[in-house]
Amino acid sequence: MNRKESLKYTIPLVLVIIIVTSLILLGMASQNPDGFEWALFDFAGLTEPEGGFAGIWAFLGEGVFVNAFVGIVGIIAVLIIGYGFFRLTSRKTE
Amino acid sequence: MHVPDGVFPLWLQIIMYIISGLMLFVSVKMINRKFDDKLVPYMGVLAAVIFAAQLVNFPVPPSSGHLVGATLLAVMLGPWGGMLIIGMVLFVQALSGDGGLLTYGVNFFNMGIFSCLVGWALALILFKGLKKITDEKKSVLISTSVASFIVTVSAAFVLGLELLTVTGFGISALYAITLVHVFIGIGEALLTFVILLYFVKAKPQVISFLKESEVSEMARVPIAPFPTQEIER
Repeated sequence: MNRKESLKYTIPLVLVIIIVTSLILLGMASQNPDGFEWALFDFAGLTEPEGGFAGIWAFLGEGVFVNAFVGIVGIIAVLIIGYGFFRLTSRKTE
Repeated sequence: MHVPDGVFPLWLQIIMYIISGLMLFVSVKMINRKFDDKLVPYMGVLAAVIFAAQLVNFPVPPSSGHLVGATLLAVMLGPWGGMLIIGMVLFVQALSGDGGLLTYGVNFFNMGIFSCLVGWALALILFKGLKKITDEKKSVLISTSVASFIVTVSAAFVLGLELLTVTGFGISALYAITLVHVFIGIGEALLTFVILLYFVKAKPQVISFLKESEVSEMARVPIAPFPTQEIER
Protein backbone atom coordinates (compact mmCIF):
# COMPACT_ATOMS: atom_id res chain seq x y z
CA MET A 1 0.00 0.00 0.00
CA ASN A 2 1.44 3.39 -0.97
CA ARG A 3 1.48 6.53 1.19
CA LYS A 4 -1.55 8.11 -0.51
CA GLU A 5 -3.56 4.93 -0.08
CA SER A 6 -2.58 4.65 3.61
CA LEU A 7 -3.72 8.23 4.20
CA LYS A 8 -7.09 7.45 2.66
CA TYR A 9 -7.60 4.83 5.37
CA THR A 10 -5.99 6.71 8.24
CA ILE A 11 -7.57 10.15 7.83
CA PRO A 12 -11.23 9.07 8.17
CA LEU A 13 -10.37 6.92 11.19
CA VAL A 14 -8.51 9.74 12.94
CA LEU A 15 -11.34 12.15 12.10
CA VAL A 16 -13.95 9.76 13.48
CA ILE A 17 -11.95 9.28 16.71
CA ILE A 18 -11.63 13.07 17.13
CA ILE A 19 -15.33 13.69 16.45
CA VAL A 20 -16.55 10.87 18.72
CA THR A 21 -14.17 11.83 21.55
CA SER A 22 -15.21 15.48 21.28
CA LEU A 23 -18.90 14.60 21.32
CA ILE A 24 -18.42 12.45 24.43
CA LEU A 25 -16.18 14.95 26.26
CA LEU A 26 -18.48 17.88 25.45
CA GLY A 27 -21.44 15.89 26.78
CA MET A 28 -23.21 16.12 23.43
CA ALA A 29 -24.05 12.41 23.27
CA SER A 30 -27.59 11.85 24.52
CA GLN A 31 -27.88 10.55 28.09
CA ASN A 32 -31.42 9.26 27.49
CA PRO A 33 -31.94 5.49 27.61
CA ASP A 34 -31.77 3.90 24.16
CA GLY A 35 -34.94 2.75 22.39
CA PHE A 36 -34.74 -0.78 23.81
CA GLU A 37 -34.08 0.36 27.41
CA TRP A 38 -36.85 2.95 27.23
CA ALA A 39 -39.42 0.43 25.94
CA LEU A 40 -38.47 -2.31 28.42
CA PHE A 41 -37.64 -0.44 31.62
CA ASP A 42 -39.52 2.86 31.31
CA PHE A 43 -42.55 2.00 29.17
CA ALA A 44 -43.17 -1.62 30.23
CA GLY A 45 -41.90 -0.90 33.75
CA LEU A 46 -39.66 -3.94 34.12
CA THR A 47 -36.85 -3.83 36.66
CA GLU A 48 -33.38 -3.40 35.19
CA PRO A 49 -31.33 -6.54 35.94
CA GLU A 50 -28.45 -6.00 38.35
CA GLY A 51 -25.36 -7.97 39.20
CA GLY A 52 -24.53 -8.94 35.62
CA PHE A 53 -21.14 -8.50 33.95
CA ALA A 54 -20.46 -4.75 33.99
CA GLY A 55 -17.53 -4.89 31.60
CA ILE A 56 -13.77 -5.13 31.98
CA TRP A 57 -13.52 -1.37 32.54
CA ALA A 58 -16.10 -1.22 35.35
CA PHE A 59 -13.34 -0.66 37.94
CA LEU A 60 -12.64 2.76 36.37
CA GLY A 61 -16.08 4.02 37.39
CA GLU A 62 -18.25 6.46 35.43
CA GLY A 63 -17.71 9.85 33.79
CA VAL A 64 -17.10 11.49 30.44
CA PHE A 65 -13.32 10.99 30.55
CA VAL A 66 -13.75 7.30 31.37
CA ASN A 67 -16.31 6.97 28.54
CA ALA A 68 -13.94 8.69 26.10
CA PHE A 69 -11.00 6.51 27.22
CA VAL A 70 -13.03 3.30 26.98
CA GLY A 71 -14.30 4.40 23.57
CA ILE A 72 -10.82 5.03 22.18
CA VAL A 73 -9.49 1.74 23.59
CA GLY A 74 -12.48 -0.03 22.01
CA ILE A 75 -11.86 1.59 18.62
CA ILE A 76 -8.21 0.50 18.69
CA ALA A 77 -9.18 -3.00 19.88
CA VAL A 78 -11.69 -3.44 17.04
CA LEU A 79 -9.12 -2.14 14.56
CA ILE A 80 -6.54 -4.68 15.73
CA ILE A 81 -9.03 -7.57 15.94
CA GLY A 82 -10.47 -6.71 12.51
CA TYR A 83 -7.05 -6.36 10.93
CA GLY A 84 -5.75 -9.57 12.51
CA PHE A 85 -8.83 -11.63 11.72
CA PHE A 86 -9.06 -10.57 8.08
CA ARG A 87 -5.29 -10.95 7.68
CA LEU A 88 -5.60 -14.58 8.79
CA THR A 89 -8.59 -15.35 6.58
CA SER A 90 -7.45 -13.52 3.46
CA ARG A 91 -6.15 -15.00 0.25
CA LYS A 92 -2.54 -13.95 -0.31
CA THR A 93 -1.96 -11.91 -3.47
CA GLU A 94 1.25 -10.74 -5.08
CA MET B 1 -30.65 -2.31 20.92
CA HIS B 2 -27.88 -3.93 22.99
CA VAL B 3 -29.68 -6.26 25.39
CA PRO B 4 -27.89 -6.85 28.72
CA ASP B 5 -27.70 -10.17 30.55
CA GLY B 6 -30.56 -11.16 32.81
CA VAL B 7 -33.42 -10.13 30.53
CA PHE B 8 -34.10 -13.11 28.26
CA PRO B 9 -34.84 -16.73 29.29
CA LEU B 10 -31.84 -19.04 29.01
CA TRP B 11 -33.42 -21.27 26.31
CA LEU B 12 -33.75 -18.31 23.92
CA GLN B 13 -30.14 -17.30 24.54
CA ILE B 14 -28.92 -20.85 23.82
CA ILE B 15 -30.94 -21.05 20.57
CA MET B 16 -29.59 -17.67 19.45
CA TYR B 17 -26.01 -18.68 20.33
CA ILE B 18 -26.37 -21.78 18.13
CA ILE B 19 -27.85 -19.80 15.21
CA SER B 20 -25.19 -17.10 15.58
CA GLY B 21 -22.37 -19.65 15.76
CA LEU B 22 -23.58 -21.32 12.57
CA MET B 23 -23.92 -18.02 10.72
CA LEU B 24 -20.47 -16.85 11.86
CA PHE B 25 -19.04 -20.14 10.58
CA VAL B 26 -20.79 -19.70 7.22
CA SER B 27 -19.60 -16.08 7.02
CA VAL B 28 -15.97 -17.06 7.63
CA LYS B 29 -16.23 -19.78 4.97
CA MET B 30 -17.77 -17.38 2.45
CA ILE B 31 -15.19 -14.67 3.12
CA ASN B 32 -12.34 -17.18 2.97
CA ARG B 33 -13.08 -18.09 -0.64
CA LYS B 34 -12.85 -14.69 -2.28
CA PHE B 35 -11.15 -12.30 0.10
CA ASP B 36 -7.88 -10.71 -1.03
CA ASP B 37 -5.29 -9.50 1.49
CA LYS B 38 -5.14 -6.06 -0.16
CA LEU B 39 -8.52 -5.36 1.48
CA VAL B 40 -7.32 -6.16 5.00
CA PRO B 41 -6.57 -2.56 6.14
CA TYR B 42 -9.88 -1.39 4.74
CA MET B 43 -11.82 -4.06 6.70
CA GLY B 44 -10.03 -3.18 9.94
CA VAL B 45 -10.65 0.54 9.50
CA LEU B 46 -14.29 0.00 8.58
CA ALA B 47 -14.83 -2.12 11.70
CA ALA B 48 -13.24 0.60 13.85
CA VAL B 49 -15.33 3.34 12.21
CA ILE B 50 -18.57 1.40 12.84
CA PHE B 51 -17.56 0.79 16.46
CA ALA B 52 -16.80 4.51 16.90
CA ALA B 53 -20.08 5.56 15.26
CA GLN B 54 -21.99 3.29 17.65
CA LEU B 55 -20.48 5.07 20.67
CA VAL B 56 -22.48 8.26 20.27
CA ASN B 57 -26.20 8.29 20.99
CA PHE B 58 -28.35 10.92 19.30
CA PRO B 59 -31.46 12.13 21.16
CA VAL B 60 -34.88 10.77 20.23
CA PRO B 61 -36.96 11.97 23.21
CA PRO B 62 -37.85 10.26 25.46
CA SER B 63 -35.17 7.83 24.37
CA SER B 64 -32.03 7.90 22.21
CA GLY B 65 -30.52 5.93 19.37
CA HIS B 66 -27.24 5.23 17.64
CA LEU B 67 -26.07 3.95 14.29
CA VAL B 68 -25.93 0.16 13.89
CA GLY B 69 -24.47 0.21 10.39
CA ALA B 70 -25.51 -3.31 9.38
CA THR B 71 -27.14 -2.30 6.09
CA LEU B 72 -24.25 0.02 5.30
CA LEU B 73 -21.73 -2.79 5.85
CA ALA B 74 -23.84 -5.31 3.92
CA VAL B 75 -24.04 -3.01 0.90
CA MET B 76 -20.31 -2.28 1.02
CA LEU B 77 -18.93 -5.76 1.76
CA GLY B 78 -21.88 -8.07 1.26
CA PRO B 79 -23.87 -9.68 4.08
CA TRP B 80 -21.04 -12.07 5.10
CA GLY B 81 -18.42 -9.40 5.62
CA GLY B 82 -21.02 -7.19 7.28
CA MET B 83 -21.99 -9.92 9.74
CA LEU B 84 -18.37 -10.60 10.68
CA ILE B 85 -17.67 -6.94 11.39
CA ILE B 86 -20.87 -6.52 13.42
CA GLY B 87 -19.88 -9.70 15.30
CA MET B 88 -16.48 -8.21 16.19
CA VAL B 89 -17.97 -4.87 17.20
CA LEU B 90 -20.59 -6.54 19.42
CA PHE B 91 -17.92 -8.74 21.03
CA VAL B 92 -15.74 -5.78 22.03
CA GLN B 93 -18.85 -3.89 23.21
CA ALA B 94 -19.94 -6.89 25.31
CA LEU B 95 -16.49 -6.99 26.94
CA SER B 96 -16.96 -3.30 27.77
CA GLY B 97 -20.34 -4.00 29.36
CA ASP B 98 -22.48 -2.69 26.48
CA GLY B 99 -24.76 -5.65 25.78
CA GLY B 100 -24.44 -8.90 27.70
CA LEU B 101 -22.09 -11.81 27.12
CA LEU B 102 -24.90 -14.36 27.49
CA THR B 103 -27.14 -12.29 25.21
CA TYR B 104 -24.38 -11.95 22.60
CA GLY B 105 -26.23 -14.47 20.41
CA VAL B 106 -29.49 -12.51 20.58
CA ASN B 107 -27.76 -9.20 19.88
CA PHE B 108 -25.79 -10.71 17.01
CA PHE B 109 -28.94 -12.23 15.55
CA ASN B 110 -30.82 -8.90 15.62
CA MET B 111 -28.06 -6.49 14.59
CA GLY B 112 -25.87 -8.87 12.59
CA ILE B 113 -27.71 -11.73 10.92
CA PHE B 114 -31.19 -10.25 10.50
CA SER B 115 -30.08 -6.68 9.79
CA CYS B 116 -27.30 -7.58 7.36
CA LEU B 117 -29.29 -10.13 5.36
CA VAL B 118 -32.56 -8.17 5.22
CA GLY B 119 -30.73 -4.85 4.72
CA TRP B 120 -28.65 -6.28 1.88
CA ALA B 121 -31.68 -7.86 0.15
CA LEU B 122 -33.86 -4.76 0.49
CA ALA B 123 -31.11 -2.42 -0.66
CA LEU B 124 -30.39 -4.65 -3.65
CA ILE B 125 -34.06 -4.70 -4.74
CA LEU B 126 -34.33 -0.92 -4.35
CA PHE B 127 -30.97 -0.40 -6.09
CA LYS B 128 -32.05 -2.44 -9.12
CA GLY B 129 -35.28 -0.44 -9.37
CA LEU B 130 -33.65 2.96 -8.90
CA LYS B 131 -30.86 2.23 -11.37
CA LYS B 132 -33.44 2.32 -14.15
CA ILE B 133 -34.30 5.95 -13.41
CA THR B 134 -31.05 7.46 -12.09
CA ASP B 135 -27.29 6.80 -12.00
CA GLU B 136 -25.60 4.04 -9.99
CA LYS B 137 -24.10 6.22 -7.28
CA LYS B 138 -27.33 8.05 -6.46
CA SER B 139 -29.16 4.72 -6.56
CA VAL B 140 -26.81 3.09 -4.05
CA LEU B 141 -27.05 6.09 -1.70
CA ILE B 142 -30.84 6.22 -1.73
CA SER B 143 -31.43 2.47 -1.66
CA THR B 144 -29.01 1.90 1.23
CA SER B 145 -30.46 4.74 3.30
CA VAL B 146 -34.06 3.63 2.77
CA ALA B 147 -33.17 -0.01 3.47
CA SER B 148 -31.32 0.98 6.66
CA PHE B 149 -34.44 2.79 7.87
CA ILE B 150 -36.70 -0.20 7.17
CA VAL B 151 -34.21 -2.60 8.77
CA THR B 152 -33.91 -0.51 11.94
CA VAL B 153 -37.68 -0.55 12.43
CA SER B 154 -38.07 -4.22 11.53
CA ALA B 155 -35.12 -5.30 13.73
CA ALA B 156 -36.77 -3.45 16.63
CA PHE B 157 -39.99 -5.32 15.87
CA VAL B 158 -38.08 -8.63 15.90
CA LEU B 159 -36.46 -7.66 19.22
CA GLY B 160 -39.95 -6.83 20.51
CA LEU B 161 -41.19 -10.27 19.45
CA GLU B 162 -38.26 -11.86 21.32
CA LEU B 163 -39.09 -9.72 24.37
CA LEU B 164 -42.61 -11.18 24.43
CA THR B 165 -40.89 -14.16 26.13
CA VAL B 166 -40.18 -11.82 29.08
CA THR B 167 -42.93 -11.60 31.70
CA GLY B 168 -44.38 -8.09 31.79
CA PHE B 169 -43.52 -7.17 28.21
CA GLY B 170 -46.78 -7.08 26.25
CA ILE B 171 -48.21 -6.03 22.92
CA SER B 172 -48.34 -2.34 23.87
CA ALA B 173 -44.59 -2.43 24.64
CA LEU B 174 -44.00 -4.19 21.31
CA TYR B 175 -45.83 -1.34 19.65
CA ALA B 176 -43.80 1.22 21.66
CA ILE B 177 -40.37 -0.27 20.86
CA THR B 178 -41.27 -0.43 17.16
CA LEU B 179 -42.64 3.13 17.10
CA VAL B 180 -39.62 4.70 18.85
CA HIS B 181 -37.35 2.98 16.33
CA VAL B 182 -39.20 4.70 13.48
CA PHE B 183 -37.52 7.91 14.67
CA ILE B 184 -34.21 6.19 15.48
CA GLY B 185 -34.38 4.72 11.96
CA ILE B 186 -34.44 8.22 10.47
CA GLY B 187 -31.15 8.94 12.27
CA GLU B 188 -29.73 5.61 11.06
CA ALA B 189 -30.71 6.46 7.47
CA LEU B 190 -29.14 9.93 7.64
CA LEU B 191 -25.87 8.66 9.14
CA THR B 192 -25.79 5.80 6.64
CA PHE B 193 -26.21 8.31 3.82
CA VAL B 194 -23.37 10.55 5.08
CA ILE B 195 -20.88 7.69 5.65
CA LEU B 196 -21.71 6.03 2.33
CA LEU B 197 -21.45 9.38 0.55
CA TYR B 198 -17.85 9.64 1.81
CA PHE B 199 -16.99 6.22 0.34
CA VAL B 200 -18.87 6.93 -2.93
CA LYS B 201 -16.73 10.04 -3.36
CA ALA B 202 -13.43 8.77 -1.92
CA LYS B 203 -13.31 5.08 -2.85
CA PRO B 204 -16.29 3.67 -4.78
CA GLN B 205 -14.29 0.47 -5.42
CA VAL B 206 -15.17 -0.69 -1.90
CA ILE B 207 -18.94 -0.62 -2.46
CA SER B 208 -20.05 -4.02 -3.66
CA PHE B 209 -23.10 -2.78 -5.58
CA LEU B 210 -21.12 -0.52 -7.89
CA LYS B 211 -19.64 -1.52 -11.25
CA GLU B 212 -16.09 -0.53 -10.30
CA SER B 213 -16.27 -2.59 -7.11
CA GLU B 214 -13.26 -4.66 -6.01
CA VAL B 215 -15.26 -6.48 -3.35
CA SER B 216 -18.20 -7.85 -5.32
CA GLU B 217 -16.73 -11.38 -5.42
CA MET B 218 -16.63 -11.35 -1.63
CA ALA B 219 -20.21 -10.06 -1.49
CA ARG B 220 -21.62 -12.86 -3.59
CA VAL B 221 -24.55 -14.76 -2.10
CA PRO B 222 -24.89 -18.32 -3.46
CA ILE B 223 -28.71 -18.37 -3.46
CA ALA B 224 -28.77 -15.46 -5.94
CA PRO B 225 -25.88 -14.52 -8.22
CA PHE B 226 -24.75 -10.96 -7.62
CA PRO B 227 -26.54 -8.99 -10.36
CA THR B 228 -24.25 -5.98 -10.65
CA GLN B 229 -21.39 -8.10 -11.83
CA GLU B 230 -23.32 -10.77 -13.68
CA ILE B 231 -25.69 -8.63 -15.70
CA GLU B 232 -23.57 -5.60 -16.39
CA ARG B 233 -20.62 -7.45 -17.88
